[in-house]
Amino acid sequence: MFLAQLKNELWKLFGKKRTYIGFGAFLLAQTAMLLAFKYTRWQSDFERMLSGNGYLAAEFISVLTVSVLMLIPQIMLLMPLYATLVGGDLVAKEAEDGTLRMILARPISRYRLLFVKWSAGLIFAIVLVVALGLTAMGFASLLFPWKGMFVFSPGQAFSVLSASEGLVRFIGSLFFMAVNAGVMMSVAFMFSCCNMKPAAATILALSFLFVSMVMENIPFFERYENFFVTHHFKCWLLIFLNPVPWTQICQSEIILFAMSATAFLLGAMVFQVRDIKS
Amino acid sequence: MIALSHVVKKFAGRTAVDDLSFTVARGEIFGLLGHNGAGKSTAIGMMLGQVWPTAGSVKICGHEVQSDRRAALLSVGAIFETPVFYDYLSGTRNLEILSTYTAPTSKSRIREVIDWVGLTGRAEAKVRTYSHGMRSRLALAQALLPRPELLILDEPSDGLDPEGIHEMRQTILRLQRELGLTILLSSHLLNEVELLCTRIAVLQQGKKVFEGNVADVKAARGKVALKTGNFSAAVELLRARGLITGATEARFLTLAEGRTPAEIAQTLVTAGFAVDGLWQHEQTVEDFYLNLIKPPSVQN
Repeated sequence: MFLAQLKNELWKLFGKKRTYIGFGAFLLAQTAMLLAFKYTRWQSDFERMLSGNGYLAAEFISVLTVSVLMLIPQIMLLMPLYATLVGGDLVAKEAEDGTLRMILARPISRYRLLFVKWSAGLIFAIVLVVALGLTAMGFASLLFPWKGMFVFSPGQAFSVLSASEGLVRFIGSLFFMAVNAGVMMSVAFMFSCCNMKPAAATILALSFLFVSMVMENIPFFERYENFFVTHHFKCWLLIFLNPVPWTQICQSEIILFAMSATAFLLGAMVFQVRDIKS
Repeated sequence: MIALSHVVKKFAGRTAVDDLSFTVARGEIFGLLGHNGAGKSTAIGMMLGQVWPTAGSVKICGHEVQSDRRAALLSVGAIFETPVFYDYLSGTRNLEILSTYTAPTSKSRIREVIDWVGLTGRAEAKVRTYSHGMRSRLALAQALLPRPELLILDEPSDGLDPEGIHEMRQTILRLQRELGLTILLSSHLLNEVELLCTRIAVLQQGKKVFEGNVADVKAARGKVALKTGNFSAAVELLRARGLITGATEARFLTLAEGRTPAEIAQTLVTAGFAVDGLWQHEQTVEDFYLNLIKPPSVQN
């Protein structure tokens, strides 16, 4: 029965046009970034940086390098927006539209209903990230060859990998990105369970993430960085480091999983005691 | 089928439902009346486990809603005032989605219900293309899917045109006749309640101010209509003889306890009044309801 409910929840989620806003925005952003990288000084600057570090630039301006390059700003800016947009909609939109009242006239428990919705949200987060990764590689392969991988993010990653090793790490990074998207969606979902409009839930979740990111970057809070959820979102870049800092990644992932579960439980507790009225 | 016992619901200090108790027996069509904000929807919300009571107990089909909601709602269907669905999906898909929140439902059962409500041929169309009447039928279909024994209808005729109201009324009667359902109907349309319900409860500011049979309501406080040349003189005479206790609208007489229309006729004819007509006036539910909720100063 859970699978049937989940299937139907996915029908509802993927039947809505607004669910696809994120996919559409990613496609546009990737096209724009790809063209900007190819036809502006961005590529030559990048090549100079590689040469300056003793690498042959021609060997590393590749599908994988450009894919990760395109993903960095999208993961930071667009993904939170679209993950929280869907998470904020999951309960609050149904309450606003009145369909929630119709569902809750049926003998399904509130916890069960929320768990089904949350699971659908997590599946959306995974689909969003997989689509993001595949389209990034697809677009990059149109203009760049399949060669070695170079990953650079100031203060976070500087790494050079072979094409095969790079592909494995790239797939691994998608997993960590999906966890990040799941946490973002869960935070919005938690707010969505309260008595508020869907937009308010999305804005609150974005504000929470934004505040976390700002505070994490204030030097005074450096020693408390583990308390900021956005600090743990960096796992997807850490996997490109040599050697891979597995201990740090595992610690962060445990915290992110716990964060998702906590957001779900808090939302469920609030929802359980709520009165659902028209 | 339904038993509310001393139910209280407070929202932020405001009492929405105050010490409400009533029962609805199997096979009844029970009407819940009251003005906007009287507490009808809150009471229905508590019956469906959507609103948690502050005090009291709500039992549906013998099960406590608060502690055993699943068992309580297993055989319950509900329709709310504005039928809302996932507009971007088809009628059939909507029914499939909603049915999974109760129990596994076969495709043949879904088709059967679609046929029953008369949506055959349109069930695969997106709900956004449906008229209000078709949405109401779809709402009925979703309520019937779990083969309910109890149907809770919260303003089901809201927003329907006269033809739609007539159709809804016939459907409700058909539901009771053919499927033997127990029906709780909350409505503003007093005429509908009168035509459909066997018993009613009236809520005012969260309190129950009346519960009884519709037949008793119609017979209660029966008035006699009098048609005569000089109504006010006739009233004066009848009052002096202790035959009536009041008169309204220059037409209706309220008989004193134990008095009959025959005595009225005899007294008037003996006194030389030309009695053009004298008949028992049956009170409508609307008359009764309006009298009941009028402030005491305006009551006759």
